[in-house]
Amino acid sequence: MIKAHHVYKTFKTSDRREVKALVDFSTDIEKGEVVVIIGPSGSGKSTFLRCLNRLEEVDSGEIIIDGVNLNDKRENINKIREEIGMVFQLFNLFPHKTVLENVTLAQTVVRKRTKNEASEVARGLLKKVGILEKENVYPAQLSGGQQQRVAIARALAMHPKIMMFDEATSALDPEMIGEVLDVMKTLAREGMTMVVVTHEMGFAREVSDRVIFMDEGQIVEEGTAEHFFENPVHERTKLFLSQIL
Amino acid sequence: MSFNKRSLITLAILAIIVGSAYYFFARKGITYIWHWESIPEMLVYYGAKSAEDAEPRLRMGILMIGFVLTLQISIFSIIFGIIIGTIVGIARLSNEPVTRGLSAAYVELIRNTPLLVQIYIIYFFVGSLLRLSAFAAGTAALSIFAGAYVGEIVRAGIQSIHKGQMEASRSLGMTYARAMRHIILPQAFKRIIPPLAGQFISLIKDSSLVSVIALADLMFQGQQAVARTYHAFEIYFTVAALYLVMTFALSMATQYIERRLAISD
Repeated sequence: MIKAHHVYKTFKTSDRREVKALVDFSTDIEKGEVVVIIGPSGSGKSTFLRCLNRLEEVDSGEIIIDGVNLNDKRENINKIREEIGMVFQLFNLFPHKTVLENVTLAQTVVRKRTKNEASEVARGLLKKVGILEKENVYPAQLSGGQQQRVAIARALAMHPKIMMFDEATSALDPEMIGEVLDVMKTLAREGMTMVVVTHEMGFAREVSDRVIFMDEGQIVEEGTAEHFFENPVHERTKLFLSQIL
Repeated sequence: MSFNKRSLITLAILAIIVGSAYYFFARKGITYIWHWESIPEMLVYYGAKSAEDAEPRLRMGILMIGFVLTLQISIFSIIFGIIIGTIVGIARLSNEPVTRGLSAAYVELIRNTPLLVQIYIIYFFVGSLLRLSAFAAGTAALSIFAGAYVGEIVRAGIQSIHKGQMEASRSLGMTYARAMRHIILPQAFKRIIPPLAGQFISLIKDSSLVSVIALADLMFQGQQAVARTYHAFEIYFTVAALYLVMTFALSMATQYIERRLAISD
């Protein structure tokens, strides 16, 4: 489903230093696989996600999604993005649209569904994330957890083949993390291909098929959750786990 | 509704200020015989216009004719100013160096030269080349002038929208243009209503400069009436009041729109 081969990505900071976000990064993600990426901040986790839907362009190397090479400028990036749902740390709901409009807008302008079809899809998904009763309010009137669940419904409404979560619970108050994780767990069990950047080790342990530990733009260690948490091999992994668990 | 009450209070304070200024002026004992009675017929009158058009009916007076023309010029210039400004504002943020350079040059050129000079150039030079009427030349000059300022306001408005909004739109498969139209610009416009209102109020007042190309706007008609009657004080007070009617109405309208759009806050 996703093949990333020898990806390099460097950012220039405002004082013209170069920061290597991804260094020779390679991984393959199968259909239906739930991959959790963890690592210290600045390790390139989010950059990798953002490269997967070309919010960032890679310097070299290639990323192939569902047989489409993202480096190929002839490919319509918007077509690829339709197939990849993304959930952001800061939700990024559209504040001038109601909850229902947030979920229907891209369906109507991108997927060309009629208003009625889009509303039907939207209501089904809002019900799934448990927030149907708020369909006519604006995002500012929702709690963080509710906003993030709407954002998930908005991404799902495009019927994507892959869902990406970029620290989706990091900006939430502790008591709201659970409601968002529950929605993500449901998705994982339904067989969605998921790439999840998170600090929620419980989630990684419970639903992930594979855990990737990144540091300084590289994969330090990867394996099943069981292997990863019970028998980490590398010192850096052990250190990181000791700091957060 | 508190909206009406608040605008009434504003108007009342204005009336008090103007009234007391007028009172002190009169008390100073400057010997001036006021001729306010000549003003109403400059607004509306009943009667014949000329020998050819002798039918007696209700007609617009000279100041009212000027008022209508100023209103027309202002409305057209505001509409074109918004269109030009939106295009320029987006162009200023383009990744294309040529587009960015051209729009920046336009903004700098227009902002750094006097409007009066621009009006003359557009009327005498561009206007002669393209055979523009005075109305078209005046409206074009004001639109181009407003477009530069609106462009900078629009650019600031777009930049004030969190970049996550564009990323969320793009990640849903929207093109840049669709994201701009549905997501970025609506939010930006809501945010820039106060500076836009200020800009357009200035534009209405600046439109008085088109009187120099013999366009019979409110200012021009006022000057004509003064030349004929010598009632300079009364006429210019009335002209000022008529500008105030337009700008105050615009001010109220934008406050109303702002409140309407505040429901999603």
